[in-house]
Amino acid sequence: MNINCDDRERILLEGSAEEWAALELHANACAVCAGELRAWRQLSAAAGELRDYEESPALWARIENSLRQQQAAPAPRMSSWLSFDFWRHIPHIWQTALVGALIVALAISSGYLYTHRPVSSGNLGNTLLKTAALAEVERTERDYMSAIDKLAAEAGPQMNTDTPLMANYREKLLVLDSAISDLRTQAEENPSNAHLRYQLLAMYQEKQQTLQDVLETKR
Amino acid sequence: MGSVGLTLPWEHKLSPAERNGERRVEPFQEKVEIVGVSEEAPQDAGVAAACLSGNLQGYERLYRWQGTRMKNLARNLLGSQADAEDAVQETFLKIQRSISGFRGQSSFVTWTFRILVNTCHDLRRSRVRRKEQVNEDVDALAPRMELRAPGAHPSLRMALERALERLTAHQRDVFLLYEVEGFRHAEIAGMLEISETASKNTLFQAKKNLRAMLEPPRSFATGGPQ
Repeated sequence: MNINCDDRERILLEGSAEEWAALELHANACAVCAGELRAWRQLSAAAGELRDYEESPALWARIENSLRQQQAAPAPRMSSWLSFDFWRHIPHIWQTALVGALIVALAISSGYLYTHRPVSSGNLGNTLLKTAALAEVERTERDYMSAIDKLAAEAGPQMNTDTPLMANYREKLLVLDSAISDLRTQAEENPSNAHLRYQLLAMYQEKQQTLQDVLETKR
Repeated sequence: MGSVGLTLPWEHKLSPAERNGERRVEPFQEKVEIVGVSEEAPQDAGVAAACLSGNLQGYERLYRWQGTRMKNLARNLLGSQADAEDAVQETFLKIQRSISGFRGQSSFVTWTFRILVNTCHDLRRSRVRRKEQVNEDVDALAPRMELRAPGAHPSLRMALERALERLTAHQRDVFLLYEVEGFRHAEIAGMLEISETASKNTLFQAKKNLRAMLEPPRSFATGGPQ
């Protein structure tokens, strides 16, 4: 077998016995390879310096004691049904079938829950108000309604004038009152829905603005 | 990267017996028996079965058979005798906890040493975390070697220990398992969950780096761990 210096590293990495023998032969005539080979072996021999197989007299007693303690106090285990040992005794085909059945059951129950999920009226969101906050909202709302009623009473005489502009305002206020009435009904059914309250507030603000516009017209 | 304290040439560091290869170095050299390597096969299954039965005598057999080898590896990985003993104890506890999961896909010794190596890495990491918590200077995960009984070549051993600290953890593991503990690449591959080729490559790189670190700078000293 012909070996040259270029083969050295490859043989040091994973050379066969024949290649090592050939490298030895080559090293007899090549000082560089001889040095490399010698250093390589000396490193392995030096590793023996790190071998110290002295007994530790007390170590086994310590280990045995800790093993006994661990044996006496078994770690909390899953029930045998849930443990992996249980599954190991079941043939692969049955394991696959069980997993498949579980996936199908999960898919069916997820589909059922999705199609039968509770739909909030008007799809108005699901932000919920807590009890204390709800009481405060209702109180403020009542005050606000009362203030708007006063405003409406003030704008009443002007509203009754028979002009096209006032007819438009009356019509707009009728629409707003109708919307407010609907929203109030929904809010009574679902008092914690903050989204309904925001919509109601927007309607009140619109009514307030309309009434202010009516009063502005009077001036 | 320079030398780490080797002042004498290699040739003067080792006895002729060592230079002629007291233990396996290359394929054509005879493998030196280390801690009962030759009787591994029949003993392995017996010890595994004894441990699996829950009998503490099984663990004692494992300890009598491989305990000093385990402690030596742990000491070289962790740098201290006390940490090494802790690691061996923890390894035995882990074996007891997980013996029911041993399926015989590797030898029982390979499985045991895999647990030991992982335990040593965990201990080393927790030691570094402890040091970080008390704001000590932590420059690496490498072990800090404590003094031990002098061998035939104490200066060589110390130089080698210091050089090993500068290898990557992976290179250190492979070097120690192969060159010091005498495991085969197939066994190391099983322990470190790498391929046999990766084990060979890592050992080659480790030895190349060690050579560069240990040899006087006249030749082959071109770099540190890669």
